[in-house]
Amino acid sequence: MMRTSGAAAVVATLALGACATGQTQAPEGGTDFAEETASGVLSIMGFGLDDEIGQVRYDLAEEAVPEVDVQLTEGGLDMQQFLSSVAAGEEPGLIRVDRTQVGTLASRGAIMPLTDCVETEEVDTSVFVESALSQVTFDGEVYGIPEFNTVQLTMANQELLDEAGLSVEDVNGSDREAVAEANEQLHESEGGSIEVIGYDSKLPEFLPLWAKAGGADLLSEDGRTAQLDDPAVLEALEWAVGIYDAQGGFGEVKAFRDSADFFGSGNQFASGTLGAMPMEQWYVNVLNEVSPDAPMAFDTVRDGDGEPLAYASGSAWAIPSGSDNPVGACRFAAEMVRTESWMAAAQERVRLREEDGLQFTGLLTGNAEADERIRKELVTPSGEGPWDAAVEALYEANEHTFALPANPADAEFKQAWMDAVNRVLNGQQEPAEALEQAQEEAQEALDEAWSTWDEQEG
Amino acid sequence: MASQTQDPALTRLADPTVADTDRSRRRRQQHYRWRELRPALLFLSPWLVGFTVFTAWPVLYSGYLSLTDYDVLTDAQWIGLDNYERMLEDPKVRLSLWNTVVYTVIQVPAYVAVSLGLALLLNRAKRASGFFRTVFFLPNMTPPVATGVLLLLLFNGQNGLVNTVLGWVGIEGPNWTTDPDWIKPGLVMMSLLSVGGSVIILLAALRNVPQELHDAARVDGAGSWRRTWHVTVPMISGALFFVFIVNTIAALQSFTEAYTAFFGVGNTTYSNDAALFYVIHLFRQAFESLNMGYASAMAWVLFVVIMVITAIQVTVSRRFVFYEGDQR
Amino acid sequence: MSAVAERQGTEQQGTEKQAAERRRRRLPGVGTVVVTTVLLALSVLFLYPFVWLVSASFKPRGEVFDNRLIPRTPTFENYINVWQEAPMLLWLGNTVLVTVLAAVAVTISSSMVAWGFAYYRFPGRNALFALVLGSMMLPGAVTMIPVFLIWNSLGQVDTLTPLWAGNLFGSAFYIFLLRQFFLGLPRELFDAAKVDGAGHWTMFTRIALPLCKPALIVTLLFEFQATWTDLMRPLIYLRDSANFTVPRGLKALLDRYGFGGEWHWEIIVTASVITTLPMIILFFVGQRHFVEGIATTGSKG
Repeated sequence: MMRTSGAAAVVATLALGACATGQTQAPEGGTDFAEETASGVLSIMGFGLDDEIGQVRYDLAEEAVPEVDVQLTEGGLDMQQFLSSVAAGEEPGLIRVDRTQVGTLASRGAIMPLTDCVETEEVDTSVFVESALSQVTFDGEVYGIPEFNTVQLTMANQELLDEAGLSVEDVNGSDREAVAEANEQLHESEGGSIEVIGYDSKLPEFLPLWAKAGGADLLSEDGRTAQLDDPAVLEALEWAVGIYDAQGGFGEVKAFRDSADFFGSGNQFASGTLGAMPMEQWYVNVLNEVSPDAPMAFDTVRDGDGEPLAYASGSAWAIPSGSDNPVGACRFAAEMVRTESWMAAAQERVRLREEDGLQFTGLLTGNAEADERIRKELVTPSGEGPWDAAVEALYEANEHTFALPANPADAEFKQAWMDAVNRVLNGQQEPAEALEQAQEEAQEALDEAWSTWDEQEG
Repeated sequence: MASQTQDPALTRLADPTVADTDRSRRRRQQHYRWRELRPALLFLSPWLVGFTVFTAWPVLYSGYLSLTDYDVLTDAQWIGLDNYERMLEDPKVRLSLWNTVVYTVIQVPAYVAVSLGLALLLNRAKRASGFFRTVFFLPNMTPPVATGVLLLLLFNGQNGLVNTVLGWVGIEGPNWTTDPDWIKPGLVMMSLLSVGGSVIILLAALRNVPQELHDAARVDGAGSWRRTWHVTVPMISGALFFVFIVNTIAALQSFTEAYTAFFGVGNTTYSNDAALFYVIHLFRQAFESLNMGYASAMAWVLFVVIMVITAIQVTVSRRFVFYEGDQR
Repeated sequence: MSAVAERQGTEQQGTEKQAAERRRRRLPGVGTVVVTTVLLALSVLFLYPFVWLVSASFKPRGEVFDNRLIPRTPTFENYINVWQEAPMLLWLGNTVLVTVLAAVAVTISSSMVAWGFAYYRFPGRNALFALVLGSMMLPGAVTMIPVFLIWNSLGQVDTLTPLWAGNLFGSAFYIFLLRQFFLGLPRELFDAAKVDGAGHWTMFTRIALPLCKPALIVTLLFEFQATWTDLMRPLIYLRDSANFTVPRGLKALLDRYGFGGEWHWEIIVTASVITTLPMIILFFVGQRHFVEGIATTGSKG
């Protein structure tokens, strides 16, 4: 007969399987993480042994669960893959997801709260970068264990700045007027086609950053109210769009940007075709590797008061509600993000970078304690060029991050504001009108998702 | 081919009206034969089994899901026709449907014309024809991941190769990848690179056209162009019809190229309204917003739309498609 | 069609078959030269993406997107790296196995079903055929999960079976394609065979299949290509990387080195080239066969 739903089957298997595996199940289906040894099979999805940072910690985590047979499905978590496995009641024991997905998965009961897990494994949640922790905290409970952190820095071409008589302070965002003026000065075009992009405000993806720099959050702290129609958001959007309009429109700039040899020695900074832009920190590594002699200047992105500011993103470990090995999963995940594990991984990276004659440009782990130790013990200023400034900026940005709080409708929320920005960029709508529409769409999605959750919680 | 088939075939070709009345008369006379049911069912048996298990059940299942609020992670909640009502109000459904229809209307004729042209050319190629056939199929063989990135480079409005070539002949190319007005034509052009499959089908059909027909037509003094149009094309109308139908179905379900180019992983920079096709919207509803029930409803509507369009095409094509074995 | 070809046609007025035959075997005429030139020009367009890919695979990281067809600093290192980073041979083996099974299965089953639709006139035929067409019209995103549940209940998840076994039941696209070709066969052939006492199976295997060999080869090649490049099914069904097919492995590499990873595109393009090469070779060898169509089935009947 047709099953009404895969999830029902999951619940059934859980109920039955609980006795079989001998797990003591708390009344509301919680797991007793204090059980002595983890054993059995642990299947993991959403993680890949990408590099030494992943490999070293993976080996350590495997050692931490000696009785467990760890089976890894390599590669990023694909929703189709995950949902199929859930529907069939064959969920993996542990998954690594993007932190923005945690709220959605938690609100639908797909992943379990980790309060007990964290306690048992003595994971001190206060060591995590605050904004990263807020992304995995849903309705007051922790549902994910943060791993890695990504921040943005201001990256600029020192040579072009010098020629225009400017400095990196003019393009770090602290003074929007100054950025707009610098953009005009740095921008060059010949007969309708762009030669140099003055400033790239990175729409639509960096709207949250610009809004925050103007003092506005796109989403209220409890994750329930959209604030896309806040005047400060509008102001930020108008300014960021104006940056493109001053250069002949977004389409032109975007096409020119897309044609750049982004990861190569002919990148925008090396070829002098870009004045400045905010960009994720990993790009520092790319630049350092492919164009070590590019005339770079680095700073954090700054708000109106000149304070550093960055929009945090990254991954998190989570345990599916139907996990057949929550104990092993918890122990494994905790080991992955322990300060010692991060240290061991960073040491390996330093060794490999030295072998290749490259500088170690730091590592943002999402674990503030590990970040600090790595910085103190392993980061050695090279004393040459702009790269030390980049590392400085990266750690400074890491201490001033913000993030949108976990919410049950993150995908729809993000789509709403992105669509709005795109409509403005395409010239289909005026900023105010677009944001009003986005506000309605986003709030509707949030209300719907929250009401489902609230009903469940009663 | 047995020689006795040529003469009637030729007469029919020479005089389409004769062919028509001929065929409609045959259709009228056509009657089903019960005694052919058994052997037919034996031949159809693999498909009957497969259809029941791998198509009918999933279709019914998703039909049921379309009447529920379902996110895979929790139990489905029965909500009746709510999903369908929501579709009526969803501006993105309208937008994506419009995008898809516009794209299909441009893409299918272009695609069929280009594949026919290439097939005819290949049919005449003597030397290195194997090389050419392989080359035209090449884009179909490269992994989409790589081609997606590459096409964005090729069609770049500022200094992509396409606009560079256009520049040589004094045309200033548009921003294919960023200008909303040019995104769909750009995608159509990109899709033309994958005509290889249809070219091969048409070529296989062309090879089945008896040379005698050409020779006979030549004897009648028909020029090369007229021979192609009046002899070759009708003879491969079955294959052309196939290419036309299949491509319409494929165009209405366009997903991969536009998704990898404008919506895929790591493509946070720009999701363009102009490239939002119906199945992309469906996919995002299903796997990004986890509205599986809603996505199922969208799929059912698409299913019905394609059914109707295909039915129209089949009906219209009856007039034009000629089968040698169609003597009923 | 060019004026040249036109002239060539009229020049040869009033000959019989032998002369036409002779002319076809003669050295290339002006028409052929024109056709070849046009084809060559078009080839550049179709070749470019792949040539770009091949050339990029011989470039170091910093030069992958520099758009030169001749690498400035040619290197073979990417191939060595890919070979070391990934169990390419194992993945290729899996892919070959799945692809061969899928292509053979779909060709046999679809040709049977297509023949059933093309030759027999039984009640309900058109309605059933409409269902065949209908099954092509469903977006895969929706049937994906129910189909997964079926394979799961058969205990076939994380095996290679779901990647090909569905083809044992025929596939709408090929049923439609082969039916179109079978419909093109003159019925007289079969009536004659019937008189000689041939059974249903004999007519199908001895007459219909050999006559439609080109279409069968096309089916084989198409399915080979489709299965070889299929990512969705391996992504959903395979867990253990020892079972990966090449595209699935490529996805793992992409997560590692491409989007969201370290942006080592040179690894991706190199793996793409390795993926594509076996298919090109097979296709080049296989394509000759659908050309021999009429030549072999000639009018000896």
